Amino acid sequence: MEDVYVLGIGMTPFGKHPDKSPADLGSQAVSLALSDAGVGRRDIGAAWVGHVFQGMAMGQRALYAAGISGIPIDNVENACSSGSTAIWDAALALRAGAYDIVLALGVEHMTTAFRGALAPDPSDIEAQMGLTMPGIYAMRAQRYMAQYGVEPHEIAQIAVKNKRNAAMNPLSHFKKPVTLEEVMQGRLIADPLRMHECAPISDGAAAVVMVTKAKLKQLGGTRAIKLAASALRSGRTEVGLVDMTVEDLTWRTAEAAYEQAGVGPGEINFAEVHDCFSIAEALRVEGLGLVPHGEYVARVGKGEMDLNGILPVNGSGGLLGKGHPLGATGVAQVVELVKQLRGDAGERQIENAKIGVAHCRGGKAQGVEGTACTVNILVA
Amino acid sequence: MVNLDEAEVLPRAANFVIEDGKVHLRASRCPSCGAALYPSREICPADGTDSLEDILLSSSGTVYTFTVARQSTPEFRTPYVLVYVDFPENVRVLLPYDGTEPPPIGANVEIVMADGPRIDNDGLVSIPHAR
Repeated sequence: MEDVYVLGIGMTPFGKHPDKSPADLGSQAVSLALSDAGVGRRDIGAAWVGHVFQGMAMGQRALYAAGISGIPIDNVENACSSGSTAIWDAALALRAGAYDIVLALGVEHMTTAFRGALAPDPSDIEAQMGLTMPGIYAMRAQRYMAQYGVEPHEIAQIAVKNKRNAAMNPLSHFKKPVTLEEVMQGRLIADPLRMHECAPISDGAAAVVMVTKAKLKQLGGTRAIKLAASALRSGRTEVGLVDMTVEDLTWRTAEAAYEQAGVGPGEINFAEVHDCFSIAEALRVEGLGLVPHGEYVARVGKGEMDLNGILPVNGSGGLLGKGHPLGATGVAQVVELVKQLRGDAGERQIENAKIGVAHCRGGKAQGVEGTACTVNILVA
Repeated sequence: MVNLDEAEVLPRAANFVIEDGKVHLRASRCPSCGAALYPSREICPADGTDSLEDILLSSSGTVYTFTVARQSTPEFRTPYVLVYVDFPENVRVLLPYDGTEPPPIGANVEIVMADGPRIDNDGLVSIPHAR
């Protein structure tokens, strides 16, 4: 099978964009990615576009605005993993030899599409009982605290770390660090989670141009980064009384990605993970097999996951700091990995970044821990 | 065991029955692997068996975890307490809790009918709660 590379990246600032349509944002990300890749609009063979709340044919609207039409455009909805699923689709098409240069875009205009707390689909029986996304993560946090002897202020340090990183990212929704005191004085959203521990409602778009190894040789250049693995899994229906602090979905997806890339969790030197809530980061990193169950929060307290720590996590600011425009999130994580692996991350550059993992997952439905999960591994 | 023909089935949500004031959630059991599944369904996700038996869950269980939802979607009146209840039938169900202070992990709870947190045009909706 063909090796796949990310040749170009593009991303809008994440945040509130009342003056821009989702098509404007998507178009901007695509233009930046094309220009970064050094290829033209007519070079793109096909495109996959991830979004959740944007309605019919968002992908076409964004690509038309970017001057691309006529090619296969596939709209991808997979909850918060929509953008990273677009990357998975694009990688499959390249590996199959169907195309040699393709585009994956993620876009979301949350501020016009959405209000209040995010919740599972209204048809879901748990949503009808009042379950929200903050609610499910708060309940998982309560179990984590009880099982591993962890306090709310210790979990809150994850938000402090990520907002500190976000303040160094010019494309972040939040530009200001917060203190632990500020986080702990924040409004409770779902006990024990407070405002700073919940990802904000953000608008934004991110895009990547992906190519086969053969195409890369033909184009030349040295800025491409290898997509060594792209794995997608869905949540398994739970039977019986499972431990809600353990992410079976994350682990099964990661296991597939490690096998594809031929690397083990011990070789990963930095990670972007789906920190939709503070506690989620702990569940993800432990689920990826990077830290034993129940230890993550204590390690954050020791600074091990800081930019200069032994395993920097969410150096971009993560969803908590950079923002979380659902469809764009998974693509933005890969954009960050490429910046780090190129050595282009500026103030937040991780020293000796060689192998990075991007973990994105989303959705909740009755009887499953999560609906969709992707793990992408990039290697310098 | 509750007799399904004699129990009162509410039209709004037929996923529970009430007998002698006790609320029993409707579920399924796989005759092949024994898995208990809530809500009731057609096919066992564990082994694919498609001839599941209807069962009713006990009217009490224990609290696996809890939270207080202070922000929600517009159909719900906040704040409200949510719990996951583990039933003796080896199945876990999310329910609102009838009270303002959440119960601790491991607490025994009864399943009862109570108003809220969901609101419709007639006000708070009566649905099964843990108490």
